[in-house]
Amino acid sequence: MASDVDAAPLVGRAGQVATLRSALLDDVGPGQTAAVFLTGESGVGKTRLLREVGDQLRAADALVLTGACLDIGDASPLHPLLQALRRFDADLTASHPRTSSAVRGLLQMFAEETGGPDGAGALLERVSRGLHLVAQGRPLVLVLDDLQWVDRSTRQLLLYLLAGLGDLQLSVLGAVRAESLQGAHPLRRVLTELRRLRSVRVLDLAPLDRADTERLAAEIVGGPLGVEAAESVWQRSGGNPFVVEELARDLRDGRDGLSDTVREVFLARVDALPEPAHAVVHAVAAGVEPVAHWLLAEVTRLPEQELIDAVRAAVAHRLLVGDDDGYRLRHRLVAEVLAHELLPAERSALHRRYAEALTSAPAELHQARLAHHWRLAGEPARALPAAVAAAEEAERLHGYAEAHRHWSVALQLAGVQPTGASAATTGASPADGGLDIDRADLLRHAAEAAHHCGEHARALALLEELVTTTADGGAPACALHIRRARYLAAAGRSAPAEAEYRRALAAADCTSRERATAAAHLAELLLHLGRYADAGDRAREALALAAEVDGSVPEVVMASMALGFSEAYLEDPDTGLAVMREALDTAERAGRPEDVACAYLHLAELLTGPLNILEEGVVVARRGAERVAELGLGRTYETRLLAIATNGLFRVGQWAEAEKVVAAALRHRPSGADAVELLLARCRLWVGYGDIEAADRDLEAVATVLAGGGARHVIPLLTLRAGLAMWQGRHDLARQAVQRGLTESRSDDVGILAALVWHGLRAEAEAYASRTVPVDQTAVRRLREVAERVARKSEHAVRSVRDVVDGFLALCDAELSRLDGSDPVLWARSVAEWDRRHHPYPAAYSRLRQAEALLARRSRTATAGKLLRQAYEVAQGLGAVPLSTEIRTLAGRARVQLEEHGASVEGRSPAGAESASDELAVLTAREREVLAAVAEGLTNREIGQRLFISERTIGVHVSHIFDKLQVRTRVQASAIFLRNRSE
Amino acid sequence: MGEPVWGPVHQDIVGLLADHPADVPAVVDHLTKLQDMLVRLPPLERSCPLADFNELYLTITTSVLNGLYDDRFADPVFLARLDVEFAARYFDALRYWTESSPVTPRAWVCLFRRMRGPDARPLPSAAAGVNAHINYDLPFALVTTFDSLESEPVDGSEQHHDYLEINQIFAERIPELRRGYLDNWQIMIDMLNGDIDDWYQGELVEYTRNVAWRNAQKIWRCRHDPEARECERERLDDNAAALGRLLLSPLGALLQ
Repeated sequence: MASDVDAAPLVGRAGQVATLRSALLDDVGPGQTAAVFLTGESGVGKTRLLREVGDQLRAADALVLTGACLDIGDASPLHPLLQALRRFDADLTASHPRTSSAVRGLLQMFAEETGGPDGAGALLERVSRGLHLVAQGRPLVLVLDDLQWVDRSTRQLLLYLLAGLGDLQLSVLGAVRAESLQGAHPLRRVLTELRRLRSVRVLDLAPLDRADTERLAAEIVGGPLGVEAAESVWQRSGGNPFVVEELARDLRDGRDGLSDTVREVFLARVDALPEPAHAVVHAVAAGVEPVAHWLLAEVTRLPEQELIDAVRAAVAHRLLVGDDDGYRLRHRLVAEVLAHELLPAERSALHRRYAEALTSAPAELHQARLAHHWRLAGEPARALPAAVAAAEEAERLHGYAEAHRHWSVALQLAGVQPTGASAATTGASPADGGLDIDRADLLRHAAEAAHHCGEHARALALLEELVTTTADGGAPACALHIRRARYLAAAGRSAPAEAEYRRALAAADCTSRERATAAAHLAELLLHLGRYADAGDRAREALALAAEVDGSVPEVVMASMALGFSEAYLEDPDTGLAVMREALDTAERAGRPEDVACAYLHLAELLTGPLNILEEGVVVARRGAERVAELGLGRTYETRLLAIATNGLFRVGQWAEAEKVVAAALRHRPSGADAVELLLARCRLWVGYGDIEAADRDLEAVATVLAGGGARHVIPLLTLRAGLAMWQGRHDLARQAVQRGLTESRSDDVGILAALVWHGLRAEAEAYASRTVPVDQTAVRRLREVAERVARKSEHAVRSVRDVVDGFLALCDAELSRLDGSDPVLWARSVAEWDRRHHPYPAAYSRLRQAEALLARRSRTATAGKLLRQAYEVAQGLGAVPLSTEIRTLAGRARVQLEEHGASVEGRSPAGAESASDELAVLTAREREVLAAVAEGLTNREIGQRLFISERTIGVHVSHIFDKLQVRTRVQASAIFLRNRSE
Repeated sequence: MGEPVWGPVHQDIVGLLADHPADVPAVVDHLTKLQDMLVRLPPLERSCPLADFNELYLTITTSVLNGLYDDRFADPVFLARLDVEFAARYFDALRYWTESSPVTPRAWVCLFRRMRGPDARPLPSAAAGVNAHINYDLPFALVTTFDSLESEPVDGSEQHHDYLEINQIFAERIPELRRGYLDNWQIMIDMLNGDIDDWYQGELVEYTRNVAWRNAQKIWRCRHDPEARECERERLDDNAAALGRLLLSPLGALLQ
């Protein structure tokens, strides 16, 4: 049913419409994502603008899905998306009688989802695959209204998709009420972070100016307004289009002057309604929008024709709008007007009728709505089972935050003593009473859901309540202690967690299995607390306990990990390694996939972490990845293992290999921390290669994911941002990134802090050398102070940490000297540090600087030449383009011959290996591989597929090849390649 | 609509507010630029009441920034985010005021209104700003910060200690700024940290300094319930606005 609401002209928004259109569609490249968040006060026209832009994008052949969030308190995870899909499905069926199997398939997937651990990420992956099928190659636009009520699951999904992790070309257009962002709305912080990204815009929709206000009013009235009327509309509306529209309509219909505020406008209209229409409007106001026609009929109990007449009247008075899926109030402001118009008894009667009607006919959001209506009908006993069912439903979709909300409501409801009336009702309908709800059970569920969604204090409080509730029932003490310890550890409260584990171990009713569990967890906790000897003791105890209990493999794996790391930190690496290897064997023999996966993960972490046996660690990680993929745990554990392999390969200087591995890992479309880890690993490669665009894209993606929370990865992100900015000569930006990092990092994270400080000092040194920006002496002083602090703190750290820190501190010292005549001795020390650790990239960088320092002092130029050649060979082998360029520039200036005759770059690549003649010698191994493929006539995309790297990177390689060979076309480049091959 | 809200510096201020600082160094930079603009605002210029507050706030924030560089806090991630969120609310209030928006927090409106005169004493002016910022903005900034860090306001936690450390910075900075008014300032800060009831009841200093923290805990518990949250917001706004009006009344001048 179309009302003349839709006919209202859109005035004064042409600029915004054009901006939105280009931001959401025209400027979005293939595979890219974009988002615009519209904020503005009630009535400023957000919904109207959303509809207009949605229509335009649809006309431009984008697939537009529209949904809205609900204000019944995080009712259901992913509700707006589900609603959008159902609407789309209904549209398809209605308009051209066909159905989309892709849409049905996706909806079916939601219906069949079963809850469980680690399922949330897999659900995100399935949703993005489903949307991919639905889009069929068209650009996809999600239009979401009332985002101020968005549930946590939807928020996470949006960030996941916008980060490009779903591998989907997607735009999001969302509207948020500005009033709601005041105070402590969760979206505030998300928007603060997102608005810094290039792909995201936050558009504040302002009221109309005076001229547009008059234009809008004139269009509605159907002619120009008199001076006085125009002034009055302007004064009373303040340019709010919704108010302008209503005032202008009253003016047109000769009702002007009766009412001064929009509230009075609507009150007058409500009063003028015929009785049945009155009932209809109030019924919709009490319902959860949209209210379906059949439901409205049940609730108002009006006969069909009377109902239709009443609805017509309400629409004509502009209080109600109708749509395919039901009725809603014309505007939030109407709801606010109506809120005070009903007596409490009338309102609860309406809610009761809703609940009764919904009980007989299940509908969308069935349980959540039932719980809502029964509660407001003053029937806690009947609301309770619905709330429980709604909580279980939310858990099925991994929405623990939403589930926690429902469990809490259920607890409140269970706490209300049934009044006489509702007790009678409960007694009268044993069908509902059949669900026997135990308060202790509710508390257990609520606590667990709170724990899962990170509400630690709440989880602990619920647990305390559980203890008092079941005190006389004699609850198992040991299990309770273990649980409390788990919650405490998750909340980061290690000391009380430790005490709880000890209590669990001392509890009289503790079974052997529980004892093993508690000891293993305690060992892990002590490890995190840095009490390695204690951790080792506990781990041995746990291993002894676990040996006596069948099926305690998880405990064996965890305890072995704790023992392995504690031995490594206590500098007895072989013992620790042997224990961890044995745990892997045990896990393989027992055959439970999760245990095997965990064991591989810990072993790989041990090798690449404290032991710094990188090559072996990489092999274990890759073998483990294959094995866990066989076991069906690819998404979770394979991804993590491959992240370890990637980082190891990067450090040992096998970048091309690292690139392949990270690409393979990202094929699982990971989410959350796993995704961040991989994107950072890949970005590290791009920065090394000097692929600015790709690096930038990954940094944006990481920032998008982190906008949803998680501060742990911020420093690595900022470090990479600084590194990238330096290759671009933007030392000011590098400085900013480092400064932010310094103010947001904990001083005990010495490893990552040391890397950050080095970037900061390098930025200052390079700013000084290149004269791009003046050196910031305050920044230098601060960096120096932090470096000193890091040095002090790392003295007490374990050897493996100290090792890493020392490497970066050597770089810091040497960079500092660059501000005052670079000191070759300091650079030589840095070279030695990194050589000792077998990290070729920083070692090559240090050689370059050492050579530079020597040349500047005009001493030992032969040594400088040798250093440059060594550095160049490494840089070329890595494919580190910006570093190679710097080396070449310096060599050119110093007239150092970089390639000794006949001893050109080692030939790892299949193409041009043995016989790379002079013309091809300027190319890196990687570039020769690319050139060989170009000569075969492959496109960039095909080459990318063959070499497992992105099409864009191939483009970068090709342009470097063109530069170096001084050609302009692929044919010319191929000709040089073939000529040199045939020789 | 007559002349722009910020008179001759309107465009400068609008331009500045269009940017949303995302880290503490950027916040300090923002406040510094704002100070330059406010002292050019006629008719009061150097004695603009908002400039009095802004100057104080700039000093405090600079101290916080130095504290972050100097490893003064246990959980700098928390404190840095809190500082940014806290400042964002001040900039938001300025933005709403710039747009003449009806949702400008009442706690701030009473100070903003005085920019055109009559002249107010610097001490009560700055105090009125501190009042709005601590009694109204701070609890919400705390809640948002905890929410984004997936943490929560727990008494005795590292974050709580860091939070109390800020009070220490206030205490250190204030005598330096207004040497000679120390005693008044102490009374003022203690008073400002509470709502009016607490003040009348003469609650303990330690308690009143913690009122914003307590309010944050209160909001934290109802943060998923939009209605309850809004209710709490209104309450804080009303309390802070009442106190702000009192400070800017002739009574406030007695403090100086």
